[in-house]
Amino acid sequence: MDQLVTTLFNGLSLSSIYLLVALGLSITFGQMGVINMAHGEFVMLGAYTTFCTQELFANFLPEQVGSIYYFAAIVLAFFVTFALGCLLEKLLISKLYGRKIDSLLATWGVSLILQQAVRTIFGAQGVNVNAPSFLKGGLAVKGVTFSYNRIFIIILVAFCLVMVWLLVNRSRYGSRMRATMQNRPMAQCMGINTKKIDCITFGIGSGLAGIAGCSVALLGSVDSTVGQNYIVYSFMTVVLGGAGNLFGTVIGAAIIGFSSIFVENYQSASIARAIVLLIIIIFLQFKPSGLFTVRSRVLDEGV
Amino acid sequence: MDTLLKPALHIEKKSRRGYHITFAVIAAMLALSPFIIEGTSLVQFLGKCMCYAIVGIALDLIWGYTGMLSLGHGLWFCLGGYAMAMFLKLDGTNGKITDFMQTGGLTELPWFWKPFGSFPLTLILVILIPALFAGIVGYFVFRSRIKGVYFSIITQALTWAVYSLFMANSKFTGGNNGITDIASIFGKTKGSANRTNLLIIFFITLAVLVLVYLLATFLTGRKFGKLLIAIRDGENRTYFSGYSVNSYKNFIYAMSAVLAAIAGALFVNFNGSITPTQMTISYSITMVIWVAVGGRGTIIGAVIGAFFINLCEYNFSSGILVEAWQFIIGAIFCLTILLFKGGIVGIVRDNIPELIRRIKNRKNKTAKEAA
Repeated sequence: MDQLVTTLFNGLSLSSIYLLVALGLSITFGQMGVINMAHGEFVMLGAYTTFCTQELFANFLPEQVGSIYYFAAIVLAFFVTFALGCLLEKLLISKLYGRKIDSLLATWGVSLILQQAVRTIFGAQGVNVNAPSFLKGGLAVKGVTFSYNRIFIIILVAFCLVMVWLLVNRSRYGSRMRATMQNRPMAQCMGINTKKIDCITFGIGSGLAGIAGCSVALLGSVDSTVGQNYIVYSFMTVVLGGAGNLFGTVIGAAIIGFSSIFVENYQSASIARAIVLLIIIIFLQFKPSGLFTVRSRVLDEGV
Repeated sequence: MDTLLKPALHIEKKSRRGYHITFAVIAAMLALSPFIIEGTSLVQFLGKCMCYAIVGIALDLIWGYTGMLSLGHGLWFCLGGYAMAMFLKLDGTNGKITDFMQTGGLTELPWFWKPFGSFPLTLILVILIPALFAGIVGYFVFRSRIKGVYFSIITQALTWAVYSLFMANSKFTGGNNGITDIASIFGKTKGSANRTNLLIIFFITLAVLVLVYLLATFLTGRKFGKLLIAIRDGENRTYFSGYSVNSYKNFIYAMSAVLAAIAGALFVNFNGSITPTQMTISYSITMVIWVAVGGRGTIIGAVIGAFFINLCEYNFSSGILVEAWQFIIGAIFCLTILLFKGGIVGIVRDNIPELIRRIKNRKNKTAKEAA
């Protein structure tokens, strides 16, 4: 019983991390159709922002406010990656709409540059983020320990999920965004500034990656390749769930997270990784465009 | 769709002659290089570059021509590389179990290592394993009509999955270290005493490169090549015209995988080891960078790109530039994609004829004025 609860909790925790990384992608890839290979690097930048905030607070502010740094870091990480995302969109991606594969490759170039930039500034060695004091330890219930930082991440993901849902489905900006993505010329005729929408949407997707970076920083040492560990899974999450469907992304993350943890109970982590990816590839045989898709009869789409 | 890539027909014919001449020049330079270069390390490096060029051609066939971007060609490269490395390793240990197997606690050679004791069988397996594997993967992927970026994501995930397997089973594959301390097919190549061995394998690789180039240009110069381009530019139209698009895609994908595997098998001879690093996604995308920078959709572009990028890396990746190199390669890549879609070949092809015409005009003018 204890074993099962632990497994379920770990599965939930892993799913929530994949979901957080994939949330940003579900906007940039799912809504806009841009494959941002630098998404993992935005996650990494979010993690480094957390580190920087921690150092700043430790050096310039009294110790009593120490723990608050983490909340400041989340906000900062969002805005730093939001700004970088907007910049990237303006400089590169806006020039490559309609050339999806090219935007994939161009953003890969960006990710190389970002990785090296971080290595140059912070060194090749990883840095450590100390979890704030209120996240240390864990909640013990009948012999099963739930570590606080994993609980915190789950809450953070739930919060982000609700915010994204509200933003996309219930806000004025969201309806403009959906209009732009569904029918660009029509949206333009309605007076929507689609260029601005593109830019902000991409920025929000990147900002979510930054928040994901904050939570990744809690889990271990941060180095320039930290984002790479998540990128394959998060793309698979979005593809599995069906591009452009928030609910699908949630289910996709849950499937990948839980199945990884369950297989890991019997096999090593790397074999689990291989098995889960193979299962997804086989699954996509039967549902090539994911679990939940918008039906369409358009030909030659998404080339 | 990719009108930028398509030169008009008469230009294409002319430029194709240019491509062949360029390739002949490159091949001749390569053939002469071992007699000019003194040290062995540069010769060895050029040998590796030729292997990279073969992978480049393989990628160009499926990406530049057929429009399927594989982000996992490192997988095929490594399958070939590991097969050859397994033979060479067994050759070194006289068929006994290897060091990493002993560390892993094995007492007997695993069954799947046994075929690699014989050379002819290894050569067959180098071709057969990737052909079968890619054929099966391709069959399922293309049957369910996964294409575009989804194809890229799937190939990337597949590569990652196999990479994880190779890393995890260190007693069978050497894990993180890979298979190390191996000589080439013709014995040791390191050091000046073994220069002859190195030269033999060097010229074999050159011959393979020339053959692969000829094969690729043969295929793409025919109706078959036109069909690949048709699939790239309008898959459904080709489909509706009555062509079995899936079979074409599957064939070219499997062939590309085989070519990459052959390159990997040759690469091991120069490198002296094979590691899972060559199977990572970033390594696979590096291969795409060669093709993109050289010029996609032209076989020669892949060759030029592979040599250009790797020679730059060879020269830059020491001293102060070692940090800057990643910035440079990233920037080159972004700029190529953004501004020069045709790569180096595209720039030359689109600008040189115009330049020549201008110079001729000016000459005519001055000649007239003089008269």
